Amino acid sequence: MVAVLAIMSFVAMQPSMVKSQTIETLEPRFGQTLALVHQAESAGATSTEIGALVVLLNNALELYGDALKLTAPDEGQRRAELVAQVDQILMTVENRAADLTALASQRSYTNRVLTYMWGAIAAVLGTILYAFTMSFYRKYRVKRTFQMRVTRK
Amino acid sequence: MNVISSQNRRTLIAVLITLLVVCEVIAYVATTPRPQEKFFQLYVLGAKRMAADYYPNNDTDIRLGESVHWYVGVTDNMGNVQLVVIRVKLGNQTIPSPNDTQATPSPAPLVTEFSRFIQNNETWEFPFVWQIVNAVPVDGSTRILELAINDETFELQGPSARDGYNFRLIIELWTWDVESAAVQFGWQADGERRVAWLQLWFNATTSLR
Repeated sequence: MVAVLAIMSFVAMQPSMVKSQTIETLEPRFGQTLALVHQAESAGATSTEIGALVVLLNNALELYGDALKLTAPDEGQRRAELVAQVDQILMTVENRAADLTALASQRSYTNRVLTYMWGAIAAVLGTILYAFTMSFYRKYRVKRTFQMRVTRK
Repeated sequence: MNVISSQNRRTLIAVLITLLVVCEVIAYVATTPRPQEKFFQLYVLGAKRMAADYYPNNDTDIRLGESVHWYVGVTDNMGNVQLVVIRVKLGNQTIPSPNDTQATPSPAPLVTEFSRFIQNNETWEFPFVWQIVNAVPVDGSTRILELAINDETFELQGPSARDGYNFRLIIELWTWDVESAAVQFGWQADGERRVAWLQLWFNATTSLR
């Protein structure tokens, strides 16, 4: 029983040990996260969707700035907490950006296909309209021809 | 029953093809994003958020403890989210300014920096309130030792100015460069590096009186 509990607590600790980050490693993380946000934008995410990610990024940046200011030895615990929070926020942004990329690219593809389809439908409707117009015009011309009167001058 | 003659059929097919081409070209134009010029705007406004009243009582001579209120703003027109860093440096008359053609920053000592992520077409504007906290005379020159910006005091090993004339605050725009994975002066657009920076001159001749 004790062994099982020990293994379970070790397994539970693993993610936090793997995710632990130092301040130095966080700055490139911001860059990586920004690259993922750029991908979401290129895929066609709306400014509202991107705005939500930017708010989170700025929260992380603020916490990162606060962590950088904590340089005293007794502030190590607080600094580690802030770094963990920043890491968590960046991970959230990365996950949302990846989801958004998939969603936005699918949406953009659907919109593109629909737009081209509407183009084809408009062309067919235009042709039908042209055919009917020409038909009515011909009938009108025939009617007018038969209504003509021949008069001697 | 109406039978379409072969000539009418040919005409209709020609009309259909023409309309198809026209409509699909319109669809292509509507769904393809237009290329836009990529740039940033960087500006500094005075106390009343206008391009005026930069100094208290319009006097460029700043006294010790006298607050100067500005607003610094950046607009992102790069077409995507950018990590923007505003670096504030203290210079004098002899320290070189940033070089526009070589895109190199000023070697003046850094006082502080402000950073933020901004969206395309978004403007980030923040109040920039500064004052000289401490300055000393050194061989006929004035050296600013402490500068407070937005309620935070920064100790400086900065430059001195003859009789306290011609100090300047240099405000540089740096951005995160995704390719080099580092913050760089200016930004990359259309294969070339462009920069934006501002400088505001002031004197500190009465600081020590």
